[in-house]
Amino acid sequence: MQVKGMRRWGTALTVLGLLGLILVYWMSFFWVSTEATQGIVQRIFYVHVPAAWTSFLAFGLCALTSGMYLWLRDERLDRAALAAAEGGMVFATIMLTTGPLWGKIAWGTYWTWEPRLTLTLLLWFIFLGYFMVRGSTEDPGKGKRFAAVVAIVGALEIPFIHLSVIWFRSLHPQPVVVRPDGPTLPGDMFATLMTSLGAFTVLFLGMFLLRYALEGLKSELDARTRRAIA
Amino acid sequence: MIWDRLTRSVWNAAAPVLVAAALLVLSAAGLPAQEMPGLDRPSGLAGQGLRPYWHVFAAYTIAIVLVIVWVWSIARRLRDVEERLGG
Amino acid sequence: MSAYLTQVRAILWKDLVIELRTRERVLVMGGFAVLSAVLFDFSIDRALVAPQDIAAGLIWMTIVFGGLLGVGRTFHLEAEDGALRGLLMSPAPRDAVFIAKVLANFTLLYVVSLLVLGVFILFFDLELGGSPAAIALALALGSLGFVALGTLFAAVSSGTRLGETLLPILVFPLLAPMIVYGAGATARLLANRPLAEVAGHLRMLGAFTVVAVFAGAVLFRFVVED
Repeated sequence: MQVKGMRRWGTALTVLGLLGLILVYWMSFFWVSTEATQGIVQRIFYVHVPAAWTSFLAFGLCALTSGMYLWLRDERLDRAALAAAEGGMVFATIMLTTGPLWGKIAWGTYWTWEPRLTLTLLLWFIFLGYFMVRGSTEDPGKGKRFAAVVAIVGALEIPFIHLSVIWFRSLHPQPVVVRPDGPTLPGDMFATLMTSLGAFTVLFLGMFLLRYALEGLKSELDARTRRAIA
Repeated sequence: MIWDRLTRSVWNAAAPVLVAAALLVLSAAGLPAQEMPGLDRPSGLAGQGLRPYWHVFAAYTIAIVLVIVWVWSIARRLRDVEERLGG
Repeated sequence: MSAYLTQVRAILWKDLVIELRTRERVLVMGGFAVLSAVLFDFSIDRALVAPQDIAAGLIWMTIVFGGLLGVGRTFHLEAEDGALRGLLMSPAPRDAVFIAKVLANFTLLYVVSLLVLGVFILFFDLELGGSPAAIALALALGSLGFVALGTLFAAVSSGTRLGETLLPILVFPLLAPMIVYGAGATARLLANRPLAEVAGHLRMLGAFTVVAVFAGAVLFRFVVED
């Protein structure tokens, strides 16, 4: 059965991802060197950036599968969109909480309207709208379509949000940002970052498959319940 | 089926892994106590005392906690649905 | 093509006539605009802040909040007595219905936005500057973009249990670019900056509006299908 295969792969990838995460945590605390200017707080970078990347990946996946769902009406596409949206929200939350924790020490303020941070904040709310719309309709099929529309419009907005925030930010006096991910990221930092990116991505894929499998089982349960009633 | 028992035992194995992860994070609080030869002394932000360490600790804790909560939430829902399906 | 335009015109005319006769929405939105300007005026300590400095932002936010009031009720009329189903069963294609609703809402909101501008000029002692036409254009583009997104999501929210209260959550994240470019352009124009400085803003605002209207027209059918 399809779902069982998803569960196995999902579990395997999740465990792999968690192990990778532990490896990254170890590397980030005990192995990688401290960045000269920002000090110890720069290490948050190894969690913050991969979380951002994963949340964008998740959102893209959600928007893509939503669009295909409206076109093809295959329920599995909608389940994939839902699984991606849930994951995206988790990783966006991680990104939005670690960012200000980093920023307060490194640049003196919790929030600087940095383009990626602002985009993620708005995406977080678009995800919120996605879930609220799904859950508040009488007819679940309607809820799925509404949510798909939310995801698609959100995706269309991304270039506008990105450009507008960059322009907006250029007006404000910026703290001098020493960017550790500039053109010459030292070897050990690069290795840690890449490992973290890999771990987060694998973890997200594993969790996505499990969530997708869960949704598939739920709909099977619904179908059985309806048959039993009929 | 052997595969399902394997999956369940993998989940049981995952739990101690997660506990280990939590312990690792807690050990981050031990960073300031370490004397590691490779670490540079940061000069620019030296006046901030222990605060950066708290921020790093908080950030890493939040990340792992959110991940674990999501994993646990999916595991719980999967168990519920499978029970009701008679799995 | 002409059949399409006839249908759009018919639905548009229906909505405008209803609005002209009942004057519900225009009174609510207009009253809101004036009262907001008054309260904003009270909220500014003139010893600390020059009202002219923040007027543009307040103008746009007032238009957004007032617009939300009006747009939320777009499908209110049709919700009663199954009128929406009747509208959808007509030979008019779905995007024609959407465009008509958008144009009706736009007419309403643009009038209100000009009112807001006027009220703020009055209370905040603003100068219109060298290019009032550019300000009018910025307001027009902003109103149209807002109304396109608002109408689409008004259809969405009126199909949920939460109704209009869901509308801000759905629409506000999407308005960020519009506010940045619109309020930015208006601020500069009110400060008498040359038109060349805001050309980029108006272009981006235009692009935003075009995408919003187009996306709404394409996606509306998925929202209202049975």
